[in-house]
Amino acid sequence: MSYNSGFTQRFSTSWKIFIKNPLGKAGLALLMLFAFMALASFALPFIGDMYDPMTGVDPLVLHSVGPSAVHWLGTDFIGRDIFCQLLEGSKIAFIVGLASAFISIVIGTVVGMVSGYAGGIVDMLLMRLADMVMVLPSLVILLIIAALFGQLNIWMIVFLIAILRWPAVARVIRSQTLSLKQRPFIEASRVAGASNVRIIFKHIMPNVLPLAFLYMTFRVTSAILVEASLSFLGFGDPGQISWGMMLQWVWSSGHMFQAPYWLLPPGICISLLTLSFYMVGRAMDEVLDPRLRKEGKPS
Amino acid sequence: MMTKSRLAFFINKIKSMAWPVSVDAEVCNYQRRVWINVLVFSMVCLLMMVFFLSCQQKKSANVLTIGLPEEPRTLNVWLASDANSWKILSQIYQGMYVRDPDTLELIPWLAENMPVLETQTMSYLVKLKKAKWSDGTDFTAHDVAFTAGVFLDFKVPRYYSKWKAIDKIEVVDDHTVRFFLKEPSAIVLSRVFTAPMVSRAQWQAVAEAALKTQKPLRTLQNHTVEKPLGTGPFMISTYRKGTFVYMKKNPWFFGTGTTIAHRRLGPWVDGVIYKMYGTSDVAILALQKGEIDMYWWGIEPGYVKDLKKAPDIELFHNPKSALYFMGFNLRKAPFDDRVLRRAIATLIDKEFIVTRLLQNYGVPMHSIVPPGNRFWHNPDVSRYSKGMNHKQRIQRACDMLQQSGYSWQVSPVDQVGNLREPSTICLPNGEAMKKITILTPPADYDPKRAFAGMMIQEWLREIGIPAFAKPMSFSALLDKVKGKHDFDAFVLGYGKLNLDPDYVRTFFYSKNDKPRGWNMSGYNNPVFDALANAQRLEMDKNKRRVLLLEMQQILLQDLPYIPLYNPDILEASSRKRFDGWVETLEGIGNLWSLCMVKPVTASGAEKP
Amino acid sequence: MNRSLFLFKKTLELFILFFLILTVLFFLFRLAPGDPVTRMVDPMLTPEDAAHLIEQMGLDKPLTTQYMIYVKNFFTGNLGFSFHYGEPVARVILSRLPCTLLLFTTSTLLAALAGIFLGKLSAWHKGSRLDGVLSISALVCHTLFVPWFALMMLWVLGFQVGWFPLGGIISPELWIADSSFMIKTLDVLHHMLLPLLTLFIIHVGSYLLLMRSSMLSVLKEDYILTARAKGLTDRVIRNGHAAKNASLPVVTSVGLSLAFSINGGALTEQIFTWPGIGRELIFAVSNNDYPLAQGCFLLIAAVVLSANLIVDLLYAWLDPRIHY
Repeated sequence: MSYNSGFTQRFSTSWKIFIKNPLGKAGLALLMLFAFMALASFALPFIGDMYDPMTGVDPLVLHSVGPSAVHWLGTDFIGRDIFCQLLEGSKIAFIVGLASAFISIVIGTVVGMVSGYAGGIVDMLLMRLADMVMVLPSLVILLIIAALFGQLNIWMIVFLIAILRWPAVARVIRSQTLSLKQRPFIEASRVAGASNVRIIFKHIMPNVLPLAFLYMTFRVTSAILVEASLSFLGFGDPGQISWGMMLQWVWSSGHMFQAPYWLLPPGICISLLTLSFYMVGRAMDEVLDPRLRKEGKPS
Repeated sequence: MMTKSRLAFFINKIKSMAWPVSVDAEVCNYQRRVWINVLVFSMVCLLMMVFFLSCQQKKSANVLTIGLPEEPRTLNVWLASDANSWKILSQIYQGMYVRDPDTLELIPWLAENMPVLETQTMSYLVKLKKAKWSDGTDFTAHDVAFTAGVFLDFKVPRYYSKWKAIDKIEVVDDHTVRFFLKEPSAIVLSRVFTAPMVSRAQWQAVAEAALKTQKPLRTLQNHTVEKPLGTGPFMISTYRKGTFVYMKKNPWFFGTGTTIAHRRLGPWVDGVIYKMYGTSDVAILALQKGEIDMYWWGIEPGYVKDLKKAPDIELFHNPKSALYFMGFNLRKAPFDDRVLRRAIATLIDKEFIVTRLLQNYGVPMHSIVPPGNRFWHNPDVSRYSKGMNHKQRIQRACDMLQQSGYSWQVSPVDQVGNLREPSTICLPNGEAMKKITILTPPADYDPKRAFAGMMIQEWLREIGIPAFAKPMSFSALLDKVKGKHDFDAFVLGYGKLNLDPDYVRTFFYSKNDKPRGWNMSGYNNPVFDALANAQRLEMDKNKRRVLLLEMQQILLQDLPYIPLYNPDILEASSRKRFDGWVETLEGIGNLWSLCMVKPVTASGAEKP
Repeated sequence: MNRSLFLFKKTLELFILFFLILTVLFFLFRLAPGDPVTRMVDPMLTPEDAAHLIEQMGLDKPLTTQYMIYVKNFFTGNLGFSFHYGEPVARVILSRLPCTLLLFTTSTLLAALAGIFLGKLSAWHKGSRLDGVLSISALVCHTLFVPWFALMMLWVLGFQVGWFPLGGIISPELWIADSSFMIKTLDVLHHMLLPLLTLFIIHVGSYLLLMRSSMLSVLKEDYILTARAKGLTDRVIRNGHAAKNASLPVVTSVGLSLAFSINGGALTEQIFTWPGIGRELIFAVSNNDYPLAQGCFLLIAAVVLSANLIVDLLYAWLDPRIHY
């Protein structure tokens, strides 16, 4: 049986199992909602200057006010619309989550495949490196870097989160690669004269991709939480609205327990978005689980 | 193999000990019941404990509890550089003169009366009060001389540069000291005679030993002081690191029962507990709940609405002696051009910053000396955007820039006078302006300044200046601005300016333009320098004032800094148990308050 | 390879790693812009004062010299003096460590126990309503935004209901009044309950999920089938066979997270004003107190590394498939 063919077909069967799972359905629905919010944020500039999440200020509002017809969720202390900020925040959450998860998955997958396929000294060095990064507490490291080298911009944060979060992926992909290496079709292509690079990317990668994709959903969750904590503490990118940043403003302007309409939405959104990614991940896990377990067993 | 199986057995045993799981069903059932019982029992215990503790009256009637935003790091007076250590130390170590809370003039404190200047010998004669240290020994002129000796021998930062002005000190008798000056100096009274005095008995041996080491100052600073000896109203009783500081009333305090600055001084409380709170929100909740009687830190305007509704909370609203400003790098293009700086001053909407960012708790600043400092403040300096609206500002700034040769491909103001999106501005030499960075402190340090930077960026972009606000960590920012002079513009502030305006010289004197020097802008104006030196030597207060007003006028013409705003300080206390806080510049957190606060008694300690 | 050689190799590896971290840390802090004096924004402080302070702190020497001194002192057990406390770093750390250990060890252990118990139930009754409720609540706990949640807990339980104090570890009023030891202990417990509850809720979700999935995979194993075939009761299979083996990954994760808790609680410590290591580290870093920051971080590194070593060794002993 060839492992390269029938990828689309396998995908469609998996999809059917996935969508039957209640967790997956709920997660996906939530995810769609946030995606819609993120898309809606692109329309904000067309509504009017007042609704610009960063610079738009309602001239009639001099301090934080509660929800009204003009401002659905009220305004912050300088008169910016909270709902608009929430939309903008969901865009940033997606960018931060997906981008840093993607980068860390790419690093993790490549390292894992190379390490598993090459073995020997390369494997040893790469895995020791992974161990070292793995023992570093990411939030504290990020705080230190932010405190030492000045404010980080949003892309730097994305990149740093990715850099600190790849080792777990690398380990899983490595063990997967190890077991794939033993399979006859790899042996066959090696005998047929395929180069190592070709074997890694042509034969091994398609088979570890579903697993990498699964891990990506979990990485998204942690990336969003880390960015939010960083921003909440005031080490985020103040030139960019994010949910953590919104909470930072509530906090630093002294509205923490005075303005629930301002405090609750970002916190709930952070939890819900991470929850939805997590649920999708769990559902995928259950789809992939039986097959992976059988393949992953050491032979 | 033998060892391995033994080990596996061992581990299994440990696991079965830690986990109450067993193959045998009955044992299993039994264990479960035990566990449930233990669980229920401990829950009941916990609940009882909670109720026991929450019902219990912990407060003793006459002990004040004050919340602090951070822990006082040290009790060593030579080391302390953080605000919270000084809150404690200022209750212990006293100077010879202090500021009157109402008039803000210097008045005698450890000294008996105002110093007498003898012009022939250039010396001040100071008579000291018959005060005592908190262990009951006498405070004498020898302690003053010793303190001065430490300042000079160890080159104690902050004090050394000021005490250098003293040529020598003569102990006339136990309670009289004569200070000989090298040259006339206007700042001796405010900067030298207000320094905290330490006890010779406590420090002499330590100081002598430290002087013999390689790093005398460091040794002195690393000396652990359990019970600092002072002359102030309170003394340390218990200091538990990371949790609280308890200060007892000093029975030997010289002020007790006497009337200074129209106040009959106490302290009227037996002691003060200082507690730490990690965030202001929680501290304010604690204040409302009655865990603390006062929070010694400014609170954000956002709390005001809620606190006003709370019946027991009293809010205090006082001006600060502060300066928040935008500074420029005058050493390089484009901000070496005065016209551009003036145009920017025109564009900045200080009113917007004050009404929105400060929520009206503060005033726009127009001169370098804050308006609260009435005697030295110059209200008649040039103002650039007075009474103009958004459109007028941009039109005015455009005119100014166009007249001195700046140009646009698409100008911000069209022929009819309407605003439009401009192209990047071109300098008089025809080149397009390069990217301008406005450095600000980060949001965690001061969200207001970070935000002010963002607003200024937007205003500058409206006339085509490619400005980018960049918050960076405070150390990195100061390193760039003060250390390396590698910047275009910045937004910074001084939260606690001395009332003596000598800082106007410090900030703009051309010789202070060096790495780590205070002239961060690189301002260099010989006329200003001459005035700055003259005011320092001028002993007549009124003549000095004229000089200082002129200095402010020059600065606002040249605009090395654009003063932005001066925030007010908002503080809250609970009137449930104590009242009598003394309001002054910088609020109620001061020595006077602690000498005056009285318990509210049932019979009524109402003030007239 | 024999066992002691394996142990030796692992330990050596860790030492090299530790030394690497020490070196990186040393240069990271010193090469970052600014120094301990930069932050003192006090116009009274002249450039000469600043230079004098720098010289007294020994920061004027070349970096390599400073590094040599630091390493030499490190191996004689001297971590230096904190710039802001004016005390030996070791003393500052030692005074904070017990607080951190007390709170985080208790919360992690409690959360793990509860997680194992609930996870077991959830997996056993997979698909039932109980499982649904448990899994969803665990997911919610797992994705909570920590500082937000901690502040909410403080507001509701500490302020609105008023059962708990609003932070700190002791009530000074009791301690200055010479209360009995019993009262003092109760007081500490009383202060600990709220942060404990918060941390418990935050952690219990992930342990539950871990236990559940581990248990589910164990339940598919052959020996469970064998046990069923033997006619053993459900409870015996669940508690005796499955749970015992399934809790292994949870135990590992507890070991690792105990190590991480020394630093990971910085946020929680800040909000509950818990005088622990995490708060100290954040303070030291943002105030350029190099010796203190290095001390805190090295402690964290040492604990995390040794926890890893222990886990590695445990695995090697427990899993016969791993060879030395």
